Amino acid sequence: MRLGSILMVTVPSDPDDDTISDLQVRILSSMEGSTALGLILDISTVQTVDSFFARTITETVQMVSLMGGITVLSGMQAAVAVTTTQLGLTLGSIPTALNVDRAMITLQHLLEERRLS
Amino acid sequence: MTILDVAEIAIVNEQDIVVARKGIREAAVGVGFGLTDVTRIVTAASELSRNVYIYGGGGLVTWRVLLGDRRGLEIAFSDDGPGIEDLDKAMQPGYTSGRGMGMGMPGAKRLMDEMVVESAVGVGTTVTVRKWLLHRYE
Repeated sequence: MRLGSILMVTVPSDPDDDTISDLQVRILSSMEGSTALGLILDISTVQTVDSFFARTITETVQMVSLMGGITVLSGMQAAVAVTTTQLGLTLGSIPTALNVDRAMITLQHLLEERRLS
Repeated sequence: MTILDVAEIAIVNEQDIVVARKGIREAAVGVGFGLTDVTRIVTAASELSRNVYIYGGGGLVTWRVLLGDRRGLEIAFSDDGPGIEDLDKAMQPGYTSGRGMGMGMPGAKRLMDEMVVESAVGVGTTVTVRKWLLHRYE
Protein backbone atom coordinates (compact mmCIF):
# COMPACT_ATOMS: atom_id res chain seq x y z
CA MET A 1 0.00 0.00 0.00
CA ARG A 2 1.34 3.44 -0.93
CA LEU A 3 0.59 6.59 1.03
CA GLY A 4 2.12 9.59 -0.72
CA SER A 5 5.86 9.13 -0.44
CA ILE A 6 5.56 6.34 2.14
CA LEU A 7 5.34 2.62 1.43
CA MET A 8 3.53 0.59 4.06
CA VAL A 9 4.01 -3.15 4.30
CA THR A 10 2.23 -5.46 6.73
CA VAL A 11 4.21 -8.59 7.54
CA PRO A 12 2.00 -11.73 7.78
CA SER A 13 1.54 -13.20 11.27
CA ASP A 14 3.35 -16.53 10.92
CA PRO A 15 5.43 -16.43 7.75
CA ASP A 16 7.74 -19.24 6.66
CA ASP A 17 11.30 -18.42 5.60
CA ASP A 18 10.43 -18.28 1.88
CA THR A 19 7.58 -15.85 2.53
CA ILE A 20 9.93 -13.52 4.43
CA SER A 21 12.53 -13.71 1.66
CA ASP A 22 9.84 -13.05 -0.99
CA LEU A 23 8.62 -10.09 1.03
CA GLN A 24 12.14 -8.64 0.99
CA VAL A 25 12.30 -8.88 -2.82
CA ARG A 26 8.83 -7.35 -3.17
CA ILE A 27 9.68 -4.47 -0.84
CA LEU A 28 12.85 -3.67 -2.77
CA SER A 29 11.12 -3.77 -6.16
CA SER A 30 8.28 -1.61 -4.79
CA MET A 31 10.83 0.94 -3.55
CA GLU A 32 12.51 0.89 -6.95
CA GLY A 33 9.28 1.32 -8.87
CA SER A 34 7.90 4.13 -6.75
CA THR A 35 8.76 7.58 -5.50
CA ALA A 36 8.60 6.35 -1.89
CA LEU A 37 11.23 7.81 0.40
CA GLY A 38 10.11 5.93 3.47
CA LEU A 39 8.93 2.46 4.47
CA ILE A 40 6.78 1.43 7.40
CA LEU A 41 7.17 -2.25 8.23
CA ASP A 42 4.15 -3.20 10.30
CA ILE A 43 4.89 -6.32 12.38
CA SER A 44 1.94 -5.91 14.77
CA THR A 45 0.49 -9.34 13.95
CA VAL A 46 3.86 -11.15 14.00
CA GLN A 47 3.97 -13.64 16.87
CA THR A 48 7.43 -15.11 16.43
CA VAL A 49 10.64 -13.17 15.72
CA ASP A 50 13.47 -15.67 15.45
CA SER A 51 17.01 -15.07 14.23
CA PHE A 52 16.15 -15.72 10.57
CA PHE A 53 13.28 -13.24 10.65
CA ALA A 54 15.40 -10.66 12.48
CA ARG A 55 18.31 -11.04 10.08
CA THR A 56 16.07 -10.72 7.01
CA ILE A 57 14.35 -7.64 8.42
CA THR A 58 17.69 -6.04 9.38
CA GLU A 59 19.06 -6.78 5.89
CA THR A 60 15.95 -5.39 4.23
CA VAL A 61 16.25 -2.15 6.20
CA GLN A 62 19.91 -1.84 5.15
CA MET A 63 19.01 -2.52 1.50
CA VAL A 64 16.19 0.04 1.58
CA SER A 65 18.67 2.49 3.09
CA LEU A 66 21.13 1.87 0.24
CA MET A 67 18.28 2.72 -2.12
CA GLY A 68 17.73 6.03 -0.35
CA GLY A 69 14.80 5.03 1.84
CA ILE A 70 14.20 5.27 5.58
CA THR A 71 12.43 2.43 7.42
CA VAL A 72 10.43 2.52 10.65
CA LEU A 73 9.56 -0.82 12.25
CA SER A 74 6.10 -0.65 13.71
CA GLY A 75 3.98 -2.47 16.27
CA MET A 76 6.16 -5.14 17.87
CA GLN A 77 4.08 -7.02 20.45
CA ALA A 78 5.30 -6.89 24.07
CA ALA A 79 5.81 -10.66 24.30
CA VAL A 80 7.82 -10.55 21.08
CA ALA A 81 9.97 -7.67 22.38
CA VAL A 82 10.76 -9.65 25.55
CA THR A 83 11.62 -12.78 23.60
CA THR A 84 13.66 -11.02 20.92
CA THR A 85 15.76 -9.30 23.58
CA GLN A 86 16.33 -12.49 25.58
CA LEU A 87 17.24 -14.35 22.41
CA GLY A 88 20.03 -11.80 21.97
CA LEU A 89 18.74 -10.03 18.88
CA THR A 90 19.06 -6.25 18.70
CA LEU A 91 17.67 -5.54 15.20
CA GLY A 92 20.50 -3.04 14.83
CA SER A 93 19.46 0.58 15.21
CA ILE A 94 16.24 0.46 13.22
CA PRO A 95 13.85 3.27 14.25
CA THR A 96 10.75 1.78 15.86
CA ALA A 97 7.26 2.91 16.78
CA LEU A 98 4.47 1.51 18.92
CA ASN A 99 1.91 1.54 16.11
CA VAL A 100 1.41 2.64 12.53
CA ASP A 101 0.08 6.11 13.46
CA ARG A 102 3.22 6.87 15.48
CA ALA A 103 5.39 5.28 12.80
CA MET A 104 3.98 7.80 10.30
CA ILE A 105 4.90 10.67 12.62
CA THR A 106 8.39 9.26 13.26
CA LEU A 107 8.97 8.70 9.57
CA GLN A 108 7.81 12.20 8.66
CA HIS A 109 10.22 13.62 11.28
CA LEU A 110 13.11 11.54 9.92
CA LEU A 111 12.34 12.53 6.32
CA GLU A 112 12.08 16.20 7.35
CA GLU A 113 15.42 15.99 9.24
CA ARG A 114 17.05 14.55 6.17
CA ARG A 115 15.51 17.16 3.88
CA LEU A 116 16.95 19.92 6.09
CA SER A 117 20.41 18.41 6.49
CA MET B 1 5.32 -38.13 35.75
CA THR B 2 2.24 -38.55 33.57
CA ILE B 3 2.32 -37.79 29.88
CA LEU B 4 -0.87 -36.14 28.71
CA ASP B 5 -0.18 -35.45 25.09
CA VAL B 6 2.50 -36.43 22.62
CA ALA B 7 2.89 -35.19 19.08
CA GLU B 8 5.54 -35.18 16.42
CA ILE B 9 6.24 -33.35 13.18
CA ALA B 10 8.75 -34.42 10.55
CA ILE B 11 10.95 -31.54 9.41
CA VAL B 12 11.50 -32.12 5.70
CA ASN B 13 11.19 -28.63 4.25
CA GLU B 14 11.04 -25.02 5.44
CA GLN B 15 7.24 -25.00 5.70
CA ASP B 16 7.45 -27.77 8.30
CA ILE B 17 9.13 -25.27 10.65
CA VAL B 18 5.88 -23.24 10.56
CA VAL B 19 3.82 -26.41 11.12
CA ALA B 20 5.96 -27.31 14.15
CA ARG B 21 5.66 -23.73 15.50
CA LYS B 22 1.85 -23.88 15.21
CA GLY B 23 1.57 -27.26 16.94
CA ILE B 24 3.93 -26.24 19.74
CA ARG B 25 2.06 -22.94 20.21
CA GLU B 26 -1.21 -24.86 20.66
CA ALA B 27 0.45 -27.31 23.08
CA ALA B 28 1.99 -24.47 25.13
CA VAL B 29 -1.34 -22.62 25.34
CA GLY B 30 -2.97 -25.92 26.34
CA VAL B 31 -0.48 -26.42 29.19
CA GLY B 32 -1.53 -22.99 30.50
CA PHE B 33 1.53 -20.86 29.73
CA GLY B 34 0.97 -17.11 29.48
CA LEU B 35 1.55 -15.21 26.24
CA THR B 36 5.17 -14.25 26.97
CA ASP B 37 6.18 -17.82 27.84
CA VAL B 38 4.28 -19.16 24.83
CA THR B 39 6.24 -16.71 22.66
CA ARG B 40 9.54 -17.78 24.31
CA ILE B 41 8.76 -21.47 23.73
CA VAL B 42 7.66 -21.01 20.11
CA THR B 43 10.68 -18.83 19.31
CA ALA B 44 13.11 -21.37 20.82
CA ALA B 45 11.30 -24.10 18.86
CA SER B 46 11.63 -22.07 15.67
CA GLU B 47 15.41 -21.71 16.15
CA LEU B 48 15.94 -25.38 16.98
CA SER B 49 13.69 -26.72 14.18
CA ARG B 50 15.57 -24.55 11.74
CA ASN B 51 18.82 -26.10 12.98
CA VAL B 52 17.33 -29.54 12.31
CA TYR B 53 16.44 -28.43 8.78
CA ILE B 54 19.65 -26.53 7.92
CA TYR B 55 22.36 -28.44 9.76
CA GLY B 56 20.73 -31.84 10.28
CA GLY B 57 19.28 -32.14 6.78
CA GLY B 58 15.82 -32.65 8.29
CA GLY B 59 14.60 -34.69 11.22
CA LEU B 60 11.92 -34.91 13.82
CA VAL B 61 10.35 -32.53 16.33
CA THR B 62 8.53 -34.29 19.17
CA TRP B 63 6.78 -32.69 22.09
CA ARG B 64 4.92 -33.87 25.14
CA VAL B 65 3.07 -32.27 27.97
CA LEU B 66 4.59 -33.10 31.35
CA LEU B 67 2.21 -33.62 34.23
CA GLY B 68 3.12 -34.39 37.79
CA ASP B 69 4.36 -32.20 40.62
CA ARG B 70 4.96 -29.53 38.03
CA ARG B 71 3.35 -29.03 34.65
CA GLY B 72 5.54 -28.35 31.71
CA LEU B 73 6.30 -28.88 28.07
CA GLU B 74 9.20 -30.92 26.71
CA ILE B 75 10.28 -30.63 23.09
CA ALA B 76 12.93 -32.76 21.40
CA PHE B 77 14.59 -31.87 18.10
CA SER B 78 16.44 -34.77 16.53
CA ASP B 79 18.27 -35.37 13.30
CA ASP B 80 20.72 -37.93 11.94
CA GLY B 81 22.89 -35.26 10.37
CA PRO B 82 26.63 -34.68 10.77
CA GLY B 83 26.47 -33.96 14.52
CA ILE B 84 28.06 -31.07 16.39
CA GLU B 85 31.86 -31.23 16.51
CA ASP B 86 32.40 -28.72 19.29
CA LEU B 87 29.44 -28.35 21.64
CA ASP B 88 31.04 -25.58 23.70
CA LYS B 89 31.54 -23.54 20.55
CA ALA B 90 27.97 -24.20 19.37
CA MET B 91 26.71 -22.76 22.65
CA GLN B 92 28.71 -19.52 22.27
CA PRO B 93 26.63 -16.55 21.12
CA GLY B 94 27.78 -15.42 17.68
CA TYR B 95 29.41 -18.69 16.69
CA THR B 96 28.01 -20.32 13.57
CA SER B 97 29.23 -23.13 11.36
CA GLY B 98 26.72 -22.18 8.68
CA ARG B 99 24.72 -19.24 7.41
CA GLY B 100 23.04 -18.40 10.71
CA MET B 101 23.64 -15.60 13.19
CA GLY B 102 24.91 -17.95 15.87
CA MET B 103 22.03 -17.06 18.17
CA GLY B 104 19.97 -20.24 17.86
CA MET B 105 21.46 -22.60 20.45
CA PRO B 106 22.47 -20.13 23.19
CA GLY B 107 19.30 -18.09 22.58
CA ALA B 108 17.02 -21.12 22.82
CA LYS B 109 18.74 -22.11 26.06
CA ARG B 110 18.05 -18.67 27.57
CA LEU B 111 14.39 -18.79 26.52
CA MET B 112 13.79 -22.24 28.02
CA ASP B 113 14.33 -23.60 31.56
CA GLU B 114 16.35 -26.67 30.63
CA MET B 115 18.30 -27.77 27.61
CA VAL B 116 20.13 -31.04 27.00
CA VAL B 117 22.21 -31.58 23.87
CA GLU B 118 23.25 -35.06 22.79
CA SER B 119 25.36 -35.16 19.68
CA ALA B 120 27.75 -37.58 18.05
CA VAL B 121 29.76 -36.73 14.95
CA GLY B 122 28.47 -38.72 11.98
CA VAL B 123 25.47 -39.99 13.94
CA GLY B 124 23.24 -37.02 14.65
CA THR B 125 22.00 -34.55 17.23
CA THR B 126 19.12 -34.45 19.67
CA VAL B 127 18.37 -31.24 21.54
CA THR B 128 15.77 -31.56 24.30
CA VAL B 129 14.31 -28.45 25.96
CA ARG B 130 11.82 -28.05 28.78
CA LYS B 131 9.78 -25.19 30.14
CA TRP B 132 8.00 -25.45 33.47
CA LEU B 133 4.77 -23.73 34.35
CA LEU B 134 5.18 -21.55 37.41
CA HIS B 135 1.75 -20.59 38.66
CA ARG B 136 2.99 -17.70 40.73
CA TYR B 137 3.89 -15.92 37.51
CA GLU B 138 0.58 -16.57 35.79
